[in-house]
Amino acid sequence: MIAAVPAPAPSFGLIDQLLRDRDAMLAKIAAGRDLASIMRVMVATIAIAMAIVGAAIGSYRGGVQIGYAAIKLPLVLLGTAALSAPALTALGAALGRRVRLAGDLALVVTALAFGAMLLAACTPLILLGRAMDVSYHSMVLGLVGMFAIAGCASLRMIVHALSLENGPGRSSSIIGLCIVFALVGGQLSWALRPYLVRPRAQDVPFVRDVSDTLVDAITGTLRSARGIYVRDGAPLPGEH
Amino acid sequence: MSIAEPAPSLSPLALALAAAGPIAIGGILAVHGTSPTPLVAVPAVVFGVVAATAPALYIATAAAGTAPSLATVVRAFGVAIGAFGIALAGLLLPAAFLSLSSTSPSTTFVVATAALGGAGLLALRRLGKELAPARVTSLTSGTVFLVWSAATLGIAGRLWWDLAKEVMS
Repeated sequence: MIAAVPAPAPSFGLIDQLLRDRDAMLAKIAAGRDLASIMRVMVATIAIAMAIVGAAIGSYRGGVQIGYAAIKLPLVLLGTAALSAPALTALGAALGRRVRLAGDLALVVTALAFGAMLLAACTPLILLGRAMDVSYHSMVLGLVGMFAIAGCASLRMIVHALSLENGPGRSSSIIGLCIVFALVGGQLSWALRPYLVRPRAQDVPFVRDVSDTLVDAITGTLRSARGIYVRDGAPLPGEH
Repeated sequence: MSIAEPAPSLSPLALALAAAGPIAIGGILAVHGTSPTPLVAVPAVVFGVVAATAPALYIATAAAGTAPSLATVVRAFGVAIGAFGIALAGLLLPAAFLSLSSTSPSTTFVVATAALGGAGLLALRRLGKELAPARVTSLTSGTVFLVWSAATLGIAGRLWWDLAKEVMS
């Protein structure tokens, strides 16, 4: 006797489709089918997957940082989607591309959900690093690599979806989105840091004070690497 | 908006966005600056430069014998200004976020310049596309449009630089 295999819940079906058959998922979004349910499932996927990744990163220090990072990382991805998708729609529409804000938002959120799933798949590596007491800087480099791979995969999915379109405004949308996506995603993650904190750190802020941008920080680091410093010395403990 | 719609060309919404966008960029500058001048000055730079240079494009193309009708040119400018408004509306949110999440005035300047410049370049491209089917395509007409675009961007860029320098100092 063969038992009937229950069909997977629609939400799991969408996640499965995202992992196995992204072309079909993109076709569904392009046709404007089930956009509301796709949005719901993908937002939930980002929230859960990134909370898991955040908790794993926060476990390097432990304690309250596990919760902090688990809250902040989903906000980074969802905020990036909310700030980038209107730019994608507007830049294309300015050159005559069809206006489909809901479709573009669903596309960006779905691509980020794919990236979040890839990062969730990297969680065992993060925990392995914690278990093996990998040094702080090695952990940072490893995480940068993982996030770069996930970010490129998300962006590639969006570019692929836009390249399937016909009509004007496609190339400008792609270029504009890549710039906005990189700037906003980078700055939002920078503004909500820290995620990875040294185990011996005494106090952990939820977020740091507003300061320079990520670009400013990179520029400053490049200057320092060339021996050009803007101050005479690093502050001693107790100094500001 | 779940169903795809054709992009608005000369819609009141697009023109309203074109009117409001530079004011919003002026607001971003004003937040980091010391005076509310940019709220008025940014729209004045954007629309003043377009108003001052638009007749030159018509005169030059007409003199070169490649100009479309005056009505076509006016409509093309309307569509391009609408495209500017739509593009700027999409860039406002990221620009505001990037500016407000930094304490550096230079970041605000760079972000506002990128938003205005990006929207301006898209508007120029749209203007070229709108005029292309109506005008006689020739090396002369292409050169006239390129020179006019460079002059317009140059004038706007210079006025913008002076304004930003004054506000951010």
